[in-house]
Amino acid sequence: MRKVAIYGKGGIGKSTTTQNTVAGLSEQGKKVMVVGCDPKADSTRLLLGGLAQKTVLDTLREEGEDVDLDDVCKPGFRGTLCVESGGPEPGVGCAGRGIITSVNLLEQLGAYQEDKNLDYVFYDVLGDVVCGGFAMPIREGKATEIYIVVSGEMMAMYAANNICKGIVKFAEAGGVRLGGLICNSRKVDNEAEMIGALADELGTQMIHFVPRDNDVQRAEINRKTVIEWKPEAPQADQYRHLARSIDENDMFVIPKPLKVDRLETLLLDYGLAA
Amino acid sequence: MTEQHPSILRTVHAMDAAGGAQAQGIVQAQGQAEGQGQGHAKGQAHAKAEGQAATTYAHNTCRLCAPLGAALVFRGLRGGMPYLHGSQGCATYIRRYLISHFREPVDVASSSFSEDTTIFGGRANFRQGLENIEAQYAPELVGVATTCLSETIGEDVGALVREAQRARGDGVSGCPALVHVSTPSYAANHADGFHASVRAVVAQVTRKDGTRSTKTPDATINVLPGLLSPEDLRALRRLVAAYGLRPVMLPDYADTLDGGTWDEYQEIPRGGTGLEDIRDMAHAVGTIELGRTLGTEDGETAGRFLLREHSVPLFQLGTPIGLSETDALVGCLANFGRKDVAQEAVLRSTRARLLDAYIDGHKIASRARVVVVAEDDLAVGLVSFLEEIGAHVVLCASGGRPGRLARALERLGREGVKSMKIMSDTDYARVDEACDALEPDLLMGASKAYGTARRLGVPLVRVGFPIHDRFGGQRVLHVGYEGALALYDRFVNALLESRQSRPKLGYSYM
Repeated sequence: MRKVAIYGKGGIGKSTTTQNTVAGLSEQGKKVMVVGCDPKADSTRLLLGGLAQKTVLDTLREEGEDVDLDDVCKPGFRGTLCVESGGPEPGVGCAGRGIITSVNLLEQLGAYQEDKNLDYVFYDVLGDVVCGGFAMPIREGKATEIYIVVSGEMMAMYAANNICKGIVKFAEAGGVRLGGLICNSRKVDNEAEMIGALADELGTQMIHFVPRDNDVQRAEINRKTVIEWKPEAPQADQYRHLARSIDENDMFVIPKPLKVDRLETLLLDYGLAA
Repeated sequence: MTEQHPSILRTVHAMDAAGGAQAQGIVQAQGQAEGQGQGHAKGQAHAKAEGQAATTYAHNTCRLCAPLGAALVFRGLRGGMPYLHGSQGCATYIRRYLISHFREPVDVASSSFSEDTTIFGGRANFRQGLENIEAQYAPELVGVATTCLSETIGEDVGALVREAQRARGDGVSGCPALVHVSTPSYAANHADGFHASVRAVVAQVTRKDGTRSTKTPDATINVLPGLLSPEDLRALRRLVAAYGLRPVMLPDYADTLDGGTWDEYQEIPRGGTGLEDIRDMAHAVGTIELGRTLGTEDGETAGRFLLREHSVPLFQLGTPIGLSETDALVGCLANFGRKDVAQEAVLRSTRARLLDAYIDGHKIASRARVVVVAEDDLAVGLVSFLEEIGAHVVLCASGGRPGRLARALERLGREGVKSMKIMSDTDYARVDEACDALEPDLLMGASKAYGTARRLGVPLVRVGFPIHDRFGGQRVLHVGYEGALALYDRFVNALLESRQSRPKLGYSYM
């Protein structure tokens, strides 16, 4: 079973990219589980067709500790398994501890056991690597490969670089590696070249460039992935391509984060100022 | 059978008059909402009736904190030093509790988090602390347990430990072996922390690489006694040895926490399970694991780990309190060990004397209404004992996870369990409230139950941990035929004393 975590700046399109990629993988016959690690619990909406499912932490809170896996793990598009970790409301409690509790519970319930015959588990983690709780999915024994969703916008690249710092820390102590950058295009000038160059500097690869296409938003309104909503759409093929690239990927590295000066030079060389 | 427990999620707050009354109201509503025989059914009525479950409170819980159990285990290893990753107070509280029960010095190290450690992570403190411990104590093993704070900030303590192991070598060239256990108290109690630590030691230290560290005779047997007194550990050691078997007991704090006097201060008291013996547990002829819950139901215990990883045959038995649970242990040992005619005769005569005592005291003991408050495994053992002497256990309460105690008691298969009130994950405020209706004659529990006993005006037979208001808590014998005899005498005498002190006339012939 391959264990994948998706990180990236808030609002970059992690959940959308993850779900579309997972749809692509499941189309290719892979058995995938998605674990949403975001208190907003919106990481599996497109796979479940909008079903607002009960999160692990809500179930724990309302029903006590006698939780069954079926209570929190719902089947979605083409047999994908969908889990939302959930968490407190904004401004309350400790979302990081929520993720720790949730992932521990899934392990206790045997969600990852061999008899589940999973090919992949995807952790979709919110925003940035902040407190230790959000790094839970990349601790030893959890996710072993990470993909960072990024765009040609400066703050997204900053965030990607910062996440790489977190990966270095956990890669040294555990076994996690960076599998590549996924560029989710914002139609920034020279975007593909710039992210390609960023990937080079980090010592990784741009595993796929996902062009901007409003079919993604149309599919989202219909509570579906593009692959499910309009299988023949060109954008669906983009996600299929990304899914295949991940499936065939054999480049796993410990990244070399950039100094801020270097990152800014990159932006100057390729970005709007170029 | 009824089971009452609050939701696992609750906030603790000072009980002012209004808040207290409100909280009481919630508790009562909860009690009414729970039907007979609902047991641990899912989605219980009370959880829904409560609505905002987080407004319930806990007042003087029936549990202690998880790293306390870890500290106890690490104190039972030869040259073992407990090291808590978190703020200072955790170590202080645990030391205070252990010292006043065992009446021995108990050092517990802390990485001593401050506000900036909490924000930036405890890596630097962890390293510094480890260096200090090595310099000051020269331990053979450092047991690293987490605390609520390090768990909450998501510190990857496993990674810190591995990092230290790589940097300094583990157990070689004078560097202590490191063991790591996760013990967040909001997710577990002291008994859970105890069992998790035993499992961590076994999983992280045992080796089966063909070579043995010691010239272990074939008849070595692993004994995982659970959370018992030093006196109990000594009794178990004698019992196992009586069958020609060599016990490797984990943990073994019989000497470290209840030893003799010293000429010179010992940084780490002598005694405890040796590292090489723990490594060789993988080669033992079997593992006896005592306790009917072992802090887990689905998770893997130390014994199950040894079975799965090293194919060591496993015998899981109840905590051997009373006749039948001791019979089960003796039967198990008899299958393994050599029959020693003389030893067997001694055992048989002790057993006979126990039966005789049961008969002699039955007029006093039988139908006595008893409330038991203890950690899960001890509670199940006590209920087994009390059921066989004809006492009527009206309430069995613990600070363990919801449902676990009820299920373990059910598996005991005793008639009295059906009508018994069972409370898990509870506190003394709720025990107090339940006792008002149940009118017990006697309580069995640790010192924390004294308030309840005093209020009711009934005796408390002190068992388990902690015993802070009597002398000799570390020497209370619970297990084996002799333990049952001692418990029975104390039980009957407590009832007699209670009866004697009530009438105006001071009868001296009871």
